[in-house]
Amino acid sequence: MKMMGEFVKGLWRENPTFRIVLGLCPTLAVSTSVSNGIGMGVAATFVLVGSNIFVSLIRGIVPEKVRIPCFIVIIATFVTIVDLLMKAYAPALSRSLGMFVPLIVVNCMVLGRAEAFASKAPPFKSILDALGMGIGFTWALILISAIRESLGNGTILGITISRSFEPPLFMILAPGALLTIGILIALINYLTMKWKAK
Amino acid sequence: MNQMTKFGLMLGIICLAATLVLAFTYEVTRPIIAAALYREEQEALKAIMPEADLFKPGTVGDIKYFEAMNGPALVGYCLKVTGSGYGGYMHIIVGIDTGGVIKGLRILQHMETPGLGSKINEIRLGESEPYFLKQFIGKNARTISVGNGIDAITGATISSKAVTDAINKTVTEFMEKMRQ
Repeated sequence: MKMMGEFVKGLWRENPTFRIVLGLCPTLAVSTSVSNGIGMGVAATFVLVGSNIFVSLIRGIVPEKVRIPCFIVIIATFVTIVDLLMKAYAPALSRSLGMFVPLIVVNCMVLGRAEAFASKAPPFKSILDALGMGIGFTWALILISAIRESLGNGTILGITISRSFEPPLFMILAPGALLTIGILIALINYLTMKWKAK
Repeated sequence: MNQMTKFGLMLGIICLAATLVLAFTYEVTRPIIAAALYREEQEALKAIMPEADLFKPGTVGDIKYFEAMNGPALVGYCLKVTGSGYGGYMHIIVGIDTGGVIKGLRILQHMETPGLGSKINEIRLGESEPYFLKQFIGKNARTISVGNGIDAITGATISSKAVTDAINKTVTEFMEKMRQ
C-alpha cells in the first residue's frame, strides 16, 4: 500500500503543476492545444521515468558534491533521446512542440524529482514516483490546454466544437495561460482546503 | 586517490556512458529523420507542381531550387523560400512557371502564434487548401505585396507580410540570377 502512495501522490496531493507549481514555463507555452499538451506530457513522463531510474541506481556511487552535474547529464541524455525519437517517428508533433522538447532539460520538475526523491529511494519506488508525477503533469496540461483551446480557438484536438461564439484570442495567447493556471490553482487549493477541514 | 580525481573520474564515466547511448540513438534515428524530411519535401513538390514528374535539385547564389521537369520539358521551378515571421523563421516551397507566375505554394514549417499568425496555413472547414495561400496562385511573384494582390489576415499582418515579401524577394532574385 505504501508503494501505491508514491504513485498516487503526484496525481493530486503533490501534483507538480497545481500543488508544487514546478515547470510552469513549458506549461504556459505549450498548453495552446490539447495535442501539444498530450505530447509534452508524454515526453516529460518518459524523461522523468528514465532519469529517476538511473539517478536511483547510481545514488550510492555518485559523490554528494558532483551529484547535480551527474543528474543533469542523465536528464539531458533522456531529453535528447526523446527529441530524436519524436523527430523520427512523430515529425508533426515535434514541429509543433518545437524548442520545448529540448527545454525539458531545464524543467525544474525533472531535476526536482531526481534531487528530492530518486537520489534517496530505490529504483522501483522511483519509477512509481516518476509515473505519478508524469501523469499528474500530463492531466494538468490536458486540462489547461482543453480550456484554452476550446475557449480561444473554438476547437478541441483540432475538431470544431462550437461556432456560436467568436473565440476570444487572448485565451490562446500568454495572458490566457496565466489566467487559466491561476484560476485552476485557486480552485484546487480551495477544494483541498475544504476536504482537509472535513 | 584524491577527492578531485575521484569526482572527475565519476563524472567522466557518466558522460562517457551518456555519449555512447546518444551516439547509438542518433545513428538509429538519423536515416529515419532524413527520410521523413525528404518525403515531406517530395509530397510538397508534387502538390505544388502536379504536372511535373521529376524534380532536379540545384542552387543559384543562396537559393535552393528544383527544376520541375515533365519528360524533357521544363515546366517551372520550385524554390525554397525562408521568411522571417513574427515567431521565427518560416520555410516555404513556392512553385513558379518560367515567367515567374505562382503555380502553387506550401508552408513546410513556421513558428507563428497559434490562433493568429498560424492562420497563414489554416484550412477552412470543407476546403482543401489554406485560404490565405490560395490568393497567391496565378499571380506574378515579382509584383505581389500585401495590399497589392494579397490581402493580409486580420490580426496577422506581420505573418502575412513575411510570407508575401519573402516570396517576392526570393523569386525576384532567382529570376535575375537565372537570366545571367
